[in-house]
Amino acid sequence: MEQYIQTFIQEVEKTIQALPKEEIAKALNTIQSVYERDGRIYIFGNGGSLALATHWVSDFNKTIFSHNLEKHTKRFQAIRLPTTEEELSAWANDIGYDMVFVGPLQNYLQEGDCVIAISSSGNSANIVKAIELAKQNHISTIGLSGFDGGKLNELADVKICVKTEKGRYDLVEGIHAVILHLITKYFQDYFDHIAQ
Amino acid sequence: MILVRAPLRISFVGGGTDLPDFYRHYPGRVLSTTIDKYVYLVINPTPLIDKVTARYSISETASHPNELQHTRIKTALMDFGIERNLEIGSFASLPAKTGLGSSSSFSTALLKGLYAFQGKRIGKGELAEAACRLEIDLLKEPIGKQDQYASATGGFNIFQFNANDSVSVEPVLIDYLKRSKLEKNTLLFFTGVTRPASSVLSEQKSKISEHIETYKKMSDSVSAFKEKLLAGDIRGMASLLHDGWMLKKKFASNVSNSMIDDLYEAGLAAGAWGGKVLGAGGGGCILFLAHPEVHGAMRIAMRQAAAKNNLSDFKEIPVTFTQSGTDILFNNLHPKII
Repeated sequence: MEQYIQTFIQEVEKTIQALPKEEIAKALNTIQSVYERDGRIYIFGNGGSLALATHWVSDFNKTIFSHNLEKHTKRFQAIRLPTTEEELSAWANDIGYDMVFVGPLQNYLQEGDCVIAISSSGNSANIVKAIELAKQNHISTIGLSGFDGGKLNELADVKICVKTEKGRYDLVEGIHAVILHLITKYFQDYFDHIAQ
Repeated sequence: MILVRAPLRISFVGGGTDLPDFYRHYPGRVLSTTIDKYVYLVINPTPLIDKVTARYSISETASHPNELQHTRIKTALMDFGIERNLEIGSFASLPAKTGLGSSSSFSTALLKGLYAFQGKRIGKGELAEAACRLEIDLLKEPIGKQDQYASATGGFNIFQFNANDSVSVEPVLIDYLKRSKLEKNTLLFFTGVTRPASSVLSEQKSKISEHIETYKKMSDSVSAFKEKLLAGDIRGMASLLHDGWMLKKKFASNVSNSMIDDLYEAGLAAGAWGGKVLGAGGGGCILFLAHPEVHGAMRIAMRQAAAKNNLSDFKEIPVTFTQSGTDILFNNLHPKII
């Protein structure tokens, strides 16, 4: 049993070490510029990735200003898409699953916003469609992908691919969570720093 | 109505190598950052008024853009084929011609706004190129390309100006701790003297071939500055700024003058590690890197030197480095993405 666990830990370590640090830095800068211009961050994914998106939004919105809430008169907001399950099922049922992100995005997205798309394969049709819409309108896009990165990694301005063999959702989704926590921690530390 | 905001910039090293007379022979490079001082531009359709209006330090209304005095608004409107029913107003955190690239910030804001008015969104590179085209090709200004790119892009960047006129953009990725450390060691003073860059650049441009080796050194110093920036080595950066300024002073007779030399020497004597004059020269702003402990003494010394030179508009400009480029802040004409 220990051997099995050790092997998994080694795989995680190796995959994390290979992360594109420069691209993660670009993602932090992208979010920084959204903050400066009072934009919003829209984040989405399918299945486990949607859970990651929801988890990140709740963490990010709650914690980054929480230490010095009253000192930050300027804030910003992250929003998971779709914002409700009802909206998700309405788009999926009435029009098609490929519309579940791009549909809400068309309603909300404005210049100055940014988009974070999460897809392990990078090839989910609804993800690709949403990124294409953002790209066409020169909205900054951050892609969190896995395996070989797929179309998402090709299209996104910021290309954070967790490179693994195909099908290793366990590694990719786990490390996506680590990257998302890194983003939250960075801005928590940054806002603590400027409040001092 | 559309409201656009374009940041000003501080150029650290490589200024002047963005002129075609140089970069056609050797790659030009500039490292700069945008700051929290902005040009704001408002575009307001006036469907019931068959005129064009430009509001800046003065307000002018004309039956055709051709009659406007403001050359950038006039040329841009004619280039876009907009002849009437529009009002354009500009506002800024600082006066024009301070050496912080504000005239190109005005251009990026104007063009981003006019594209938005037509329902088009354009990317950063495309916007920078459009501003270069307006200023260099259409208005024939003897200026380089660094300011248009800095304002359109935002953040700390290295711009490389290639012989084929293309520009490569490489962000310098520093975290908030290094950015904040640099801010705490930075002092920026406005001399109170404004001068259009073109008055200095015309002479500088005509003498590029005489100074080609110096320009190469300045272009090459960008990678050294980047290393110091990434390492958070403020003294190292200051020393490169100082060396660059000493070289730049030789480029044209009016890059520096006794007033600027007095102010710069006063800053160094009060403990600054190094600095430079921002922009083409002849006036504008002076940037220093110095330990926060000497900032008090420097402020006193600089004020005294300014008084000696009768600089009544001399003042310190507090500055924060920023990441965002030229942005639409408000657009209720075409607000939604389609």
